[in-house]
Amino acid sequence: MDCREIEGLLDAYQDRELESAVSTSVRDHLDTCAACHRRLAHVESIGRMVRRAPYYQAPDALRARLMHARPRSTATSNLLAWAAAVVMVASLTGSILFVRSSARAARTLDPVDAVAQEVVSSHVRALMGEHLFDVRSTDQHTVKPWFLGKLDYSPPVSDLAQAGFPLTGGRLDYVAGRPVAALVYARGQHTINVFVWPEASDAISSDARAIRGFHVRHWTLGGMSYWAVSDVNDAELDQFVHALQQ
Amino acid sequence: MPRSFEEVLLPHLDAAFNYARWLTKNDADAQDLVQDAYVRALRFFSSLRGEDARAWLLTIVRNTWYGRFPRRAGSGGTIVAGEDADNRADVSLDPEAQAIQQQTVEQVRRALETLPMDFREVLVLRELEGLSYKEIAAVVGIPLGTVMSRLARARERLAGVLAPSEMSGEHRGLP
Repeated sequence: MDCREIEGLLDAYQDRELESAVSTSVRDHLDTCAACHRRLAHVESIGRMVRRAPYYQAPDALRARLMHARPRSTATSNLLAWAAAVVMVASLTGSILFVRSSARAARTLDPVDAVAQEVVSSHVRALMGEHLFDVRSTDQHTVKPWFLGKLDYSPPVSDLAQAGFPLTGGRLDYVAGRPVAALVYARGQHTINVFVWPEASDAISSDARAIRGFHVRHWTLGGMSYWAVSDVNDAELDQFVHALQQ
Repeated sequence: MPRSFEEVLLPHLDAAFNYARWLTKNDADAQDLVQDAYVRALRFFSSLRGEDARAWLLTIVRNTWYGRFPRRAGSGGTIVAGEDADNRADVSLDPEAQAIQQQTVEQVRRALETLPMDFREVLVLRELEGLSYKEIAAVVGIPLGTVMSRLARARERLAGVLAPSEMSGEHRGLP
């Protein structure tokens, strides 16, 4: 690829959105071309600049209004649902409704699904309930000892500031029927929660999924089970997991 | 197990508001827009099948904005101070460095607000919301390739507005 082609790919390259083969070609070119390297630095510098723009958080009054607005709307939609059901039963055979509801009843959660749902709920609770931290520190040597005497294991704690994911603290949480360590990391305005507890079995597992708009990663390493939850994008969360596994 | 509206959509309220605030450029309109979008989301909630609730909600914010303000959407508009923004000073900096940082925040805010909406929104979705190209494509309703080229152009435009005092490094662009 020549410089002109590379230039057209630099934004996607630094956003980690290129396919790996293309990304490798770009990296190889950058190693040998000082001009393109400067252009990349320029693109990265603009990105850092934009991330300094204000992030507008929703006013509390708006949040309260939306919570109160809900019951009335639900009543209306329930009424509509009933009306729709009556119409359907009256005009059709009603078999569609029956099949649908029995299919829903048959759908049960497997244990991994259940834990995934739990960690997302915990992530959301921590962010919305404002109890994100029991110990607030960017120092892993402050966070790790805090768990002493509060858990029957010692969670591995590492700061990933070098990789762009600074540790911001930790808290005691309750997941999968047991007290667990929740470690909190930051990525720009976004929060990543990592839940760690000893894995009972030798099973090595890993999992990636999206739940209610949050990205979830699960893996086992060194006898520990890890779950990471965040609203950062897939590529960034993978980068985070990779850094944490080093 | 069906999830409730609160569980699924309220956690993304900050994302919805931040996006709305950058679209409307003022707090009052942003609040109205988010409220309308949530009412709409509630109406269509049963149609949310996939798991990407955030992108789904942001799409509704965007559609509501275009539906409500067809003339204003995309225009330059006026600049209103962002008093509700989360731009608290970094306490690890000394006062002088803090002042410089605050100035930079203000300059970037102004620069972003002067960009056309098409450029501004992809930058906000990418850099402030951290959406992937795929998610941006879904929210804005454009192909992946367009996300890529529009982001590149938006960054270049922003650098142009901020230049030369704020940007280090030479400009891109081959002869």
